[in-house]
Amino acid sequence: MTIPTEQTAVAVQDKDTSRARETRRITIDPITRLEGHGKIDIFLDGSGQVERAYFQVPELRGFEKFAQGRLAEDMPQITSRICGVCPTAHHMASTKALDALYQVAPPPAGRKIRELFYSTFMTEDHALHFYFLGGPDFVVGPTAPAAERNVLGVIAKVGIEIGQKVIAMRRRLRELMTLSGGKVVHPVLGLPGGVAKRLTAEDQARFREVAAEAVEFAQFTLSIFDSVVLRNSDYVNLILADHFTHRTYYMGLVDEQNRVNFYDGMLRVVTPEGKEFAKFPADKYLDYVAERVEPWSYIKFCYLKPVGWKGFTDGAESGIYAVAPLARLNAADGMATPLAQQACDAMFKTLGGKPVHHTLANHWARVIELLYAAERMKELADDPEITDPRVRTLPAATPREGIGVVEAPRGTLFHHYQTDERGVITRANLIVATQNNAARIAMSVEKAAKGLVSGTNISEGVLNMVEMAFRAYDPCLGCATHSLPGSMPLEVRVRDAQGATLATLRRDADGTIHRE
Amino acid sequence: MAHTRLLCLGNELLADDAFGIVVAGRIRQLGLPDLEVVEASVSGFNLVDYLLDASRLVVVDTMQTAKAPPGTVRVFREQDVRSTPGGSPHYVGLFEALAVGRALKLKVPEEVVIIAVEAADCETLGGAMHPAVAAALAPVLEQVQKLLAV
Repeated sequence: MTIPTEQTAVAVQDKDTSRARETRRITIDPITRLEGHGKIDIFLDGSGQVERAYFQVPELRGFEKFAQGRLAEDMPQITSRICGVCPTAHHMASTKALDALYQVAPPPAGRKIRELFYSTFMTEDHALHFYFLGGPDFVVGPTAPAAERNVLGVIAKVGIEIGQKVIAMRRRLRELMTLSGGKVVHPVLGLPGGVAKRLTAEDQARFREVAAEAVEFAQFTLSIFDSVVLRNSDYVNLILADHFTHRTYYMGLVDEQNRVNFYDGMLRVVTPEGKEFAKFPADKYLDYVAERVEPWSYIKFCYLKPVGWKGFTDGAESGIYAVAPLARLNAADGMATPLAQQACDAMFKTLGGKPVHHTLANHWARVIELLYAAERMKELADDPEITDPRVRTLPAATPREGIGVVEAPRGTLFHHYQTDERGVITRANLIVATQNNAARIAMSVEKAAKGLVSGTNISEGVLNMVEMAFRAYDPCLGCATHSLPGSMPLEVRVRDAQGATLATLRRDADGTIHRE
Repeated sequence: MAHTRLLCLGNELLADDAFGIVVAGRIRQLGLPDLEVVEASVSGFNLVDYLLDASRLVVVDTMQTAKAPPGTVRVFREQDVRSTPGGSPHYVGLFEALAVGRALKLKVPEEVVIIAVEAADCETLGGAMHPAVAAALAPVLEQVQKLLAV
């Protein structure tokens, strides 16, 4: 789910009447939101060709207002309840914002427990995504019929035993998270300055056992990717094709040696040519990241402030950047664990060097990150210092402002709180992973539309292409907590140059296609 | 021993999406025998954990079809989903989770009934529940008890 920053809810009516054009810009009212659906609006130019396509997802509203007046200390528990997909990411970013707010750092064991918990979460989420969310697109094969391109198709392809293994691995990882975090979905682990609970020797033994299984499982997943995806030239061609290929900047958290780290470090941005453009700590993000509102959407698009907003376009002159697995691998100099580093080298070698601009390579990068998360879990679980009872530094400073950053599975996540001297929030801002990617997603949708929409003829293929883009970017979507992102209903609407609707294609949640 | 689970899906922070959680609270107060009441706000395949090891499952959830007024209550069985008139509920996560559970031969209940209430707003943090959705509480509680009596 995306969480808006400082937005006021705007629900306006879509008026299907002619509107005057302003020079080359189409002036229309912001589009009516169809609850729970993703919407794509395609505008045709005077000669009936696609001029522009816009993509909107429903997203959560009112975060800032919701946060105001609350105790900052409560935010790690509250914000983890906002999102049913990445509660741990919000919990951790929020906890780190509290560290900054109270100017306190965890003792070594506290920090390690946090990172261990976080690595466990990343392992679980990436594994689930690969098999059940991204899987339908490539494990089954890109040319497979639509009826097979779903999770059942994946299970049919890899076999029930493997499917059961995934569920079992997932359960083991979630049991661990319950052990150290209290509740998987609503963790209570993080406190400003540390964690709530130390790790005993028994706890550590359990983590070590599951971590070893996780590493094996991750290697196994990589081998599946290799045999099912990389040996399928149809899929490799699709990865390399122009679809969803964009030459943008890339951002991710890195450690002191510029290797990927999910939990902490500096934010590093590289240019489309792969050169380091910036490296900064979380509290300087406002110098580098700006948000832009487009009149046709209420989502805020992030871009790099020093480069500037140049529209929905590629290249080093445009401030658009990407986050998430592929971006993280592009922005770093390597992986911090040996097996993941090997896999990472292999990927860049196969895809022709760094940085890789093919969005579908996110699936490959995700599997490499799965391996890193599992190896990192094992490293931390093996660390003798992690059972040290000193897991918290008590805050003493008066709070004022704090910014926390983590790498969520879907990209960089920022929590920013300002409080009064009692720690009551006066202002709050969130930038969720997908906001960082929103501009690039819009470009991908537009590219897909240009290839697949001609006049009022909307090919059903456009729905599939857009869905593939979704899955590759793996966006946080504003659907109700308990609905599945990968199967979000989609509506594509073609409009003429004045904004009047010419045709609509809608795919409901059960797969029924409606045309108007 | 056979037991029924009432799985209430919802998020109390998100306006109408709190509906399922409110239902859970009220049903618990009734103290019905042989009934396990579970609340969850998880998404997609994470639902699998909540679907196992019950002989019968009743799910309470919101839906947003934009085709019925807020507060409209629909009751249907898992098998009916594709023939539900007027658009489908958008909580596909539940059905995919059930399908995955069955495909992997996990212990998924044979009988699954869903009670879904049309919501107006599931996206405003800290938002109030729409009066029509709140008004659906009594009929839904009645439906739940009716289903359990069978």
